[in-house]
Amino acid sequence: MSPTQRQRLMVVVILVLGIGIAATLTLLAFQKNLLYFVTPTQIKSGELPQQRQFRVGGIVVEGTLQREGVKVQFDLTDTANSVTVVYSGILPDLFREGQGIVANGKLTDGGVFEASEVLAKHDENYMPPEVSEALETAKNLPQKFKGHPK
Amino acid sequence: MEGSTNSALTAFTTIFRRDIKLALRHRSELINPLAFFVIVVSLFPLGLSTDSRTLLQIAPAVLWISALLATMLSLESIFRSDYDDGSLEQLVLSEHPLSVIVLGKVAAHWCTTGLLLTLISPALAISLAFPPQNLGVLIWTLLLGTPTLSLIGSIGVALTVGLRRGGILLALLILPLYIPILIFGASAVDMSIDDLDVAGQLYLLAALLALSLTLAPFATSAALRVTLE
Amino acid sequence: MRIFQFFHRFASPREFFRIAGAMIPWFAAVTLVLLSVGLYLGLFVAPPDYQQGESYRIIFIHVPSAWMSLFVYMVMASAAAIGLIWRIKLAHVIAMSSAPIGASFTFLALVTGSLWGKPMWGAWWVWDARLTSELILLFLYLGVMALYAAFEERRTAQRAAGILAIVGVINVPIIHYSVMWWNTLHQGPTVTKFDAPSIHLSMLIPLLIMSVAFTLFYATVLLMRARWEVLEQEQRSKWVDEYLEQT
Repeated sequence: MSPTQRQRLMVVVILVLGIGIAATLTLLAFQKNLLYFVTPTQIKSGELPQQRQFRVGGIVVEGTLQREGVKVQFDLTDTANSVTVVYSGILPDLFREGQGIVANGKLTDGGVFEASEVLAKHDENYMPPEVSEALETAKNLPQKFKGHPK
Repeated sequence: MEGSTNSALTAFTTIFRRDIKLALRHRSELINPLAFFVIVVSLFPLGLSTDSRTLLQIAPAVLWISALLATMLSLESIFRSDYDDGSLEQLVLSEHPLSVIVLGKVAAHWCTTGLLLTLISPALAISLAFPPQNLGVLIWTLLLGTPTLSLIGSIGVALTVGLRRGGILLALLILPLYIPILIFGASAVDMSIDDLDVAGQLYLLAALLALSLTLAPFATSAALRVTLE
Repeated sequence: MRIFQFFHRFASPREFFRIAGAMIPWFAAVTLVLLSVGLYLGLFVAPPDYQQGESYRIIFIHVPSAWMSLFVYMVMASAAAIGLIWRIKLAHVIAMSSAPIGASFTFLALVTGSLWGKPMWGAWWVWDARLTSELILLFLYLGVMALYAAFEERRTAQRAAGILAIVGVINVPIIHYSVMWWNTLHQGPTVTKFDAPSIHLSMLIPLLIMSVAFTLFYATVLLMRARWEVLEQEQRSKWVDEYLEQT
C-alpha cells in the first residue's frame, strides 16, 4: 500500500469507528428515560420535591372537568394513578375530556397540581367530522394518551 | 500502518505541548475565560434574587449557558495568534495530516478552557444553592459537553479566522450548532435535582462527543484550506 | 453518455444562462396553475376537520413550507458538496442561491406554525422539539448567508459557506427524527409514515398539490437567482458582454 492509500484507509477506519460509537451511545440513550414531563404515578409515589416547577402529562379523566368562571379543575391520569389539576385561564381549543394534555406548574401542599400553563396534544389524524363519527360508532375509538414511541 | 500512526501521534503531542506551553505563558488568556464564567454566573443572583428556591430553579441553565459563552469567547485563541504570525500557513503546508494537527490544537484549547471551567463549576454551583450531592452530574455533563463545544467551535474559527471582524459572525455560526449540547447538558443537570435518571442524557452527550471528535477535525481542516489560500 | 453530455453542457455558465432563461416562464406558469388549484381545493373544497374545524386549513401552507425548508437545505448542502468535491462552479451558484429561498420557507413555516399553534395548543409559541429545530434551521440558513456575505472574494465565500452548509446538514436528520425522539406537543408525522397516511384523501390531495406547487416555485426562483449570480460571476467573459449589448 502506498502512503496515501494507507492514510485513506486510516481515515475510513476512524470514520466508521467514530460513527459506530456515536450510534451505539445513541441507541443506549433511547433505552433510558428521556421524557421531560412526569406522570401522575411519579407524583403519587412522592419522587418529586414540592415547590419546584415541572411538567406533568396525562389524559383528562372523563366527567371530572369543573368550571368556575375562569377557574377550571380536572383530574389527570396515566391509567394507573391520577392527580387533580387546577388552572385559571383559557383552555386551548383541543382541550377536552379523554384527551392527552401537558400541564406546567407546581405541586401544592395538598397534593393538587397548580398549573400555570395547559397545553393540548393534538393527534396526527385529520379527517372530516362524518368519517370520525363513523369510526366512533364502528369501534369506540380508543383515545389513549400517546406516550413515548417505543 | 505502524509508521504513519506513530508520526501522526508525534505530530499530535508536539502541537498539543506547544499550545499548552503558549497558553501557560499568556496567563491572561488562561484566566480570562474563567473570570468571565465566574462574573456572568454571579450576575444572576444580583439581577434576579438571592432567594435560594429561585436560584435552584435557574442554576442548571445559568451554569451551562455561562460555560458555553465562556468557551465561545475563548475560541479565537485556537487559531488567531498562529494566523497573525503566519505559522498557521506553515502548519497547513506541513507533511503531517492537518486533521491531526487540528485535533492537537483543539485538545490543548479544551485543557486550557473547558477542563478548567469544569473544575471551578462546583464552587459556582454551590453559590446558586445547588445540592452538593448532585454535583457529580454537573461535572459529568461539562466533562462530556465542553470538548464538543471546542471541537464544533474550531470549525467556526477556521471559517472566520481570515476575516477582520469575525467575532459576532462566529457566534451566529456556532451557537445554533451548540443548542443540542446545551439542551442535553442543562436538562440532565435539571433532572438530577429531582433525582431523576440522567443516564440517557449523558449517553447522548457522549454520542455527540464521539461524532464531533470524528467529523470536526476534517471539517476544520477543510475550512482552513479554504480560508487560508 | 448522452445524459452526461447534457449535464456537462448545462454546467457551463453560458449554456445554463440560456437554458434556464428558456425554462423560467414554463416553470412559473405551472407553479401559478398548481398554486391556484391547490388553494381552491384546500380552502373551499376540502371538508373541515373533525376536531380542529376550519382552522386546520393553514396546513396547506404550513406543511409544504416546512417540507420545503428541509428539502432546500438538503439541495443546498448537496450542491455545496458537489461544488467542493468536483470543483463545479455552477453547483456553488445553486447552493448559494438556495440559501435565501430556504430561509424564507423556514420563516413562513415558523410564522404559520405560530398562527396555528395559538388556537390549537393555547400558545403562540411552545418550545417543542420540532418548532425549536425549525428555528435552529433558520439560524443555520442565516449563518450560511452571513458567512457568504462576509468574504470579499466570491470563490472563497462560496466554498467557506458551502462547508458550513454541509456541517449544518447533521442538524437536518435531528430535526426530522426529533418527533420520535422527544415526546413533544407536536403531532407525529402525518403523511411520511410508511403505513397508510392518517389524513383523509380529500385533504391529502390539495396538500400534495400545494407541495408540488411549492417545489416548482422554489425551482423558478432558484433559476432566476442563479441566472443573475452567473451573470455577475462571469461579468468579465465575452458572452456576457454580447448578452448585455443585445438587451
